[in-house]
Amino acid sequence: MTSAQLEIQLIAALVAVACAIPGTFLVLRKMAMISDAISHAILPGIVLGFFITQDLNSPLLILLAAITGVVTVMLVEFIQKTGLVKEDTAIGLVFPALFSIGVILIAKNANDVHLDIDAVLLGELAFAPFDRLLVGGSDVGPKSLWVIGSILLITITLLLLFFKELKLSTFDKGLATTLGFSPLLIHYALMTVSSVTVVGAFDAVGAVLVVALIIAPAATAYLLTDDLKKMLVLSCFFGIFAAFAGYWLANILDASIAGSMTTVLGFVFLLVYLFAPKQGVFSVFFKERQQRKEVSLLVFLLHLQNHQESNERHVNHLREHINWQKVQAKTVLDLAKKNNLVQISENIVSLTDKGQEFTDEALRYITTNKETAIEELKDRYFLFRG
Amino acid sequence: MHTSSKIPAIQIDDLTVAYNYKPVLWDIDLVVPEGVLMAIVGPNGAGKSTLIKAILGIIKPIAGSVEVFGKPYKKQVDKVAYVPQKGSVDWDFPTVALDVVMMGTYGSLGWIKRPGQKEKKRALEALEKVGMLEFKSRQISQLSGGQQQRIFLARALVQNAEIYLMDEPFQGVDATTEKAIINILKELRKQGKTLIVVHHDLQTVPEYFDWVTFLNVKGIASGPVKDIFNDDNLTKTYGINYKVAVNQT
Ligand SMILES: Nc1ncnc2c1ncn2[C@@H]1O[C@H](COP(=O)(O)OP(=O)(O)OP(=O)(O)O)[C@@H](O)[C@H]1O
Ligand SMILES: [Mg+2]
Repeated sequence: MTSAQLEIQLIAALVAVACAIPGTFLVLRKMAMISDAISHAILPGIVLGFFITQDLNSPLLILLAAITGVVTVMLVEFIQKTGLVKEDTAIGLVFPALFSIGVILIAKNANDVHLDIDAVLLGELAFAPFDRLLVGGSDVGPKSLWVIGSILLITITLLLLFFKELKLSTFDKGLATTLGFSPLLIHYALMTVSSVTVVGAFDAVGAVLVVALIIAPAATAYLLTDDLKKMLVLSCFFGIFAAFAGYWLANILDASIAGSMTTVLGFVFLLVYLFAPKQGVFSVFFKERQQRKEVSLLVFLLHLQNHQESNERHVNHLREHINWQKVQAKTVLDLAKKNNLVQISENIVSLTDKGQEFTDEALRYITTNKETAIEELKDRYFLFRG
Repeated sequence: MHTSSKIPAIQIDDLTVAYNYKPVLWDIDLVVPEGVLMAIVGPNGAGKSTLIKAILGIIKPIAGSVEVFGKPYKKQVDKVAYVPQKGSVDWDFPTVALDVVMMGTYGSLGWIKRPGQKEKKRALEALEKVGMLEFKSRQISQLSGGQQQRIFLARALVQNAEIYLMDEPFQGVDATTEKAIINILKELRKQGKTLIVVHHDLQTVPEYFDWVTFLNVKGIASGPVKDIFNDDNLTKTYGINYKVAVNQT
């Protein structure tokens, strides 16, 4: 690996983490669309800043553009507060207007601005290593590495200091207010950090893809955990993974790095969405099937316990006596047999001692409304689950 | 009871609150003495929740003032705990019951400082008190409505406040939970705390509370249950059909 390759990956990883942290809170606040608005609306800020500074990595430019981002949020909120339109409509009104002003500014000055629309939309991560930061004549690394590194450092510091406040005001604005933490202040602090991050990441990944870096890692992590801290860590992990995997994918396909990163993120989201252990599509499907089968089993066992007469317990009659439409009688019978809950002699089914015990206990839980305890009961009695 | 103490727990003067410039509470005057267990009663839309939110500064009134132990609420933040009417939080937030209860300690911690073992211990004690200890690691959306209500009560308990404001804590809870909650409230009152509870079940008012405020857009009456909980005030608050209201609950 050349040092340029290494630098690109490092920048990509830092960008990803810097986006994932505010992204987690934006997703939890159901404000994902706001990041889209910010990322487009900062364009005029960037262009104007570029006229003044002639340097995409200048702190002044970042500040100007970030202010445009916060102003966008305020505009959206203002329009929304009039009560005439909903939030998404307000977002849709504000950002195309600002974005198109930016595009016109670039087009009008195409000759003296080294900015083109492609770069604005998709970024130019591959060129990042060429723009070096020189301190006292010596080369200390790519400028964008320093820019995004500083932004990330600030983000992490703020996160560590104000984690509690952020969490509370995101979860329960009312309590945050009554406890004397100002949710409004925290809201605008988050918007400022998001705007600064978007501007810092803009150069590398562009206006469209930065949104994916903000939202996708957090949305993926959200499927995997009930713990905010873990969600943050997972978001960052997915971001970093996408940075490295995306870089090499781009290398192989000879494609845009930022585009490949986004593709990886999309793919990871899909995988998690399908296979997440608790909320994934497949596990939900299998769990439901298992539940259905085990409920039928319980119904079956209760039926056996209630009826001593052998015609009620004849294998061939089971179908008529219990509602088996959804689950085949045979699978339930097999499950009961495998777990040694029933025995069959001459086609008459009866409970074993173990089956008797299990059914008694389950019945007690059902009548006392403690159905959740049955799960634990199953763990104790079942050798095989449904 | 400490009803004789000079500074009332809450004093409200000429309070008018509006949503989008449309007043929903008109010119409320209310004095809540320290140490009472008070019910706020009134029909749906009477402004009960609004009154509580105005006391807490969640909504800015367009006129009038609220004082908590003689000072503006902003200076007394740590003296007041609030149990919201259900549904005001994000139930899918990645957090578990214990964590939610710990949030009640954030006020005493102030900015930046993080909760530690001491806070965790207090949260666990509160969970124990409301009988929810075994659910401490549950994600909150996976709790039943009554269990969620208990979690929010526990959260208010760890705030260790002087005044508790509760917006319909008995909504949707079973009889056992209701008894458990009211016992906790009575115990708090014994410790000298002031409790203000929005309550819909008129039949249980005399049994649960010693103080009552009738509210319907305007303040109708406020005082000891034994003196003012009568047909006259009920009719003024609920209109001629208040008996229907009683029978419905
Ligand atoms: N956010 C809001 N915006 C506009 N109007 C509101 C808002 N919240 C409440 N209102 C109105 O204010 C009035 C008082 O509402 P409030 O929630 O205080 O009633 P309540 O007495 O608590 O009723 P309930 O018994 O149903 O809880 C109602 O007419 C309601 O429609
Ligand atoms: Mg209400």
